Amino acid sequence: MGAEASFREEDFFGREDELSALTRAALEGSRGIGSSFMIYGPPNIGKTSLLLKLAKQLVATAGTDGLPRPFPLYFSFSQILSHPLALSQHFLQEFLSQLLRFLGDAHPSTFDPASMCDRLASFGITGCREVLAAHERCTAEGDGLSALVNALSFPFSSSGELFYPVFLFDDFQYTGKLQGVPEGAMLSILRPYIKSGHFPMFISGSSPGRVTAALKREGLFGTFQMIEVGGLSTDSSVRLWRYLCERRRVDIPASLLPRASERLGGIPAYQRMLVEEIFFRSAKVPDAVTLENLYAVSVTEGKLNRYWREFFENTFPDRARRGRAIRFLKRVLCDRFPLDTVEGAISLMGSSQEEGEAILSALEFKGLLKADLDHLTFVGDPVLADFLYWAFERGVLGKGTSQVTAAIVQARLSRTAPEPGQGGDHARRVAIVKELMRKWDLREVPLLLLDFGMFREKFGGKGLLEIVIGMEREAVRVRLPKVSSVSTGYRASRGGPRFDFDLVAYGFLEGDFSEENLVIWAVDVAVEKNLGPRAVEHFENRCRLLALEKGLPQDRLRKWMILNETADAATVELASRYGIHLSHPTQLRLFLNLFGLEELERDPEPARSPGSEVPRSGKTLEYELVLPIKADSEVVAARVAEEVAAFAAVDADTVDRIKMAIIEACINAFEHSASESGKVRLRYLLSPDKIELFVQDDGKGFRPGKTPEESKKNRGWGLKLIRELVDDVEIVTGPDGTTVHMVKNLGGDPADPGPVRQGAGGLGSPEEH
Amino acid sequence: MTPYKTIHIREEGDTLVVSVGGYLNSLLGEEVEKVVSANLDIGGRRILLNFQGTRLVNSIGISFVIGIVEKVMEREGRMAFCEVSRINRDLFRVTGLAKYVRSFDSEKEALDFLSGNA
Repeated sequence: MGAEASFREEDFFGREDELSALTRAALEGSRGIGSSFMIYGPPNIGKTSLLLKLAKQLVATAGTDGLPRPFPLYFSFSQILSHPLALSQHFLQEFLSQLLRFLGDAHPSTFDPASMCDRLASFGITGCREVLAAHERCTAEGDGLSALVNALSFPFSSSGELFYPVFLFDDFQYTGKLQGVPEGAMLSILRPYIKSGHFPMFISGSSPGRVTAALKREGLFGTFQMIEVGGLSTDSSVRLWRYLCERRRVDIPASLLPRASERLGGIPAYQRMLVEEIFFRSAKVPDAVTLENLYAVSVTEGKLNRYWREFFENTFPDRARRGRAIRFLKRVLCDRFPLDTVEGAISLMGSSQEEGEAILSALEFKGLLKADLDHLTFVGDPVLADFLYWAFERGVLGKGTSQVTAAIVQARLSRTAPEPGQGGDHARRVAIVKELMRKWDLREVPLLLLDFGMFREKFGGKGLLEIVIGMEREAVRVRLPKVSSVSTGYRASRGGPRFDFDLVAYGFLEGDFSEENLVIWAVDVAVEKNLGPRAVEHFENRCRLLALEKGLPQDRLRKWMILNETADAATVELASRYGIHLSHPTQLRLFLNLFGLEELERDPEPARSPGSEVPRSGKTLEYELVLPIKADSEVVAARVAEEVAAFAAVDADTVDRIKMAIIEACINAFEHSASESGKVRLRYLLSPDKIELFVQDDGKGFRPGKTPEESKKNRGWGLKLIRELVDDVEIVTGPDGTTVHMVKNLGGDPADPGPVRQGAGGLGSPEEH
Repeated sequence: MTPYKTIHIREEGDTLVVSVGGYLNSLLGEEVEKVVSANLDIGGRRILLNFQGTRLVNSIGISFVIGIVEKVMEREGRMAFCEVSRINRDLFRVTGLAKYVRSFDSEKEALDFLSGNA
């Protein structure tokens, strides 16, 4: 749409087969055996470029044997003008000026039809004045249909020895929307010419359903051959990449180009947009992660995003309807909701029949879906899918753009799950490391425990006892953080893949739990016997993304890989270059020994907290947090709850409820527990259908009497609010302290979390808890 | 001192507009109560609490708001809330606050209401 103005022939790559078929058909028009084509495909795929390239090729073919030459007339219906009079006028002007150019006039006086007529007469083409006069007459009478017949027939009546017209009609679906003219009128007018075989026509549009239906009604369907335009082949797409990058002086290794092509579905327009984006942002793409980042930035806030945002704004000017359409498409294209019927689509949209049909019809018109009878097929466009993901996450779930960007990048880089059969041992080793990290508590240990290269150099081939003694003398030591929470299986069960580390620990460099002291340790426990450079690269990439998402400075993300058996020198070197700590099983044993954990071989998680009976299905994620009893530290608990909920794609309102509930539970624990340790322990269990929160203190439980705080008037809302905010609350007081167990179900309709129940009490009269 | 305490006050005609930002906990609640009381003491009778910037609320914060409402009612003043998020609106309903104080979508509507234009 409007793309013809910006078409650059030198940008055109590939599509050799289509071009040769179309060119042959056009040339066969001279002998009356030319066939017509219907070219279709999703928006932006390059249909217009294909037509324009064909036009250039046809102009370049010299006429032979004294036969008339094909005159390609490119005309796009998108920029009109739904009134047939205006359309006719525009068509005549285009025809005259393009024909004059074809005949050799460099600059025809485009806006003066009369003088163009005179020029044409000098080439021996007559009848132009009469056609213009007829157009005037129709205009005066307001007869749009006659004006169309008059204008569309002229190219054929004026053809002869010199040329024959080949129509290249773009965005043809718009002809179904002309005012006061029956749908299919255009085809009725053109029908005899199409049938003749002398005037091959190429009709292009993103909405084949409508056009083919019109062709069928006119009995023309069999006359047309169909060509579906898809993405470029990898080879052509790579050639286009090379060309674009060279022109924009974008520095990108050739090895990345096939990946980049696949990323964009081989769609040339996207390639152009992304190259421009890269050019403006950095002009350098050293590796795949940078490429994925630049792509994700473009699709969430840059050119690719703008393209689709405008597309949806134009297609659905009404905001609510746009939202509904985006949500619907997101379900189909991103979540791959299996759907192929109109009824199914409307019920998935959850809208009225009328609105659902209007949305489907608009999507069909714009080429995002094909409707064949009642069978729906949706476009497979990776960039559109990522855009929809962005729109959904941001618009519906209210996430920040950088969060979404990171998730998109991660989705592309996430690795596959470990091989079955290795899980058991792996899970046990992960659990051991988790237990170890929990005990760190600001202690200092020899740096050698975390540096496999140095360790091997110093102790390679030596006995364990010798090593232990040697270690004690180690002067270079490193201070470990105080770890406040360690999460296992950092992988989402819903809402797309995330940073799948084996462990992610949140710690603090000093005893004070403040933002300035925060440090995150990302840990992978190797599955493969011999760690290779690829695994290290992959780990490093994920770490960079984690740092990006969390906005962490370099030194606040620590990277640690634990070997299964060994690693070769090159891998060790690579890890050290990336600043990744590497530990051999022997080092790990020494490490555990330092913290009195070497015997830990059984279930490393003794069942000591309430709720441990929750089945550990593969889909449950568990997080823990230890909070100091300190003003406002409940905000940290709320923030963690928000992060946890983000894994389940929970709607913003439910997240608010969960946050509020956990804040109240923490405040209660702070106020009532009289805890001895000065700490409150939290657990978050996320499963597909619910989130469970445990807030445990080691104090004496909720005392029935009034605390000084509570005796303040108007207080005591806490538990009442919790009951309103979550679906289930249970308070268990035992010898070890009190636990508030809260359950919020996630299964409901995310669009309607349901209002909080109306309280019966009057102002300032809460129920006792 | 808590990093979450932000409060801005200004006067619109004879209405005191208190914008409550960040985390409405006991400290911030107390602060709001203080400025409202001071205003009532010098004869102010129209109070508008703007919750646009309020990210989090806890029950102690709400109890302070209840205290403020009681004070304003005692002095026969007029009070309104505006820009209350959905969750906070629900909480105000549960605590019964919503029955005594009207909430408006925009500050302008609330000011019109307080000055008797609506």
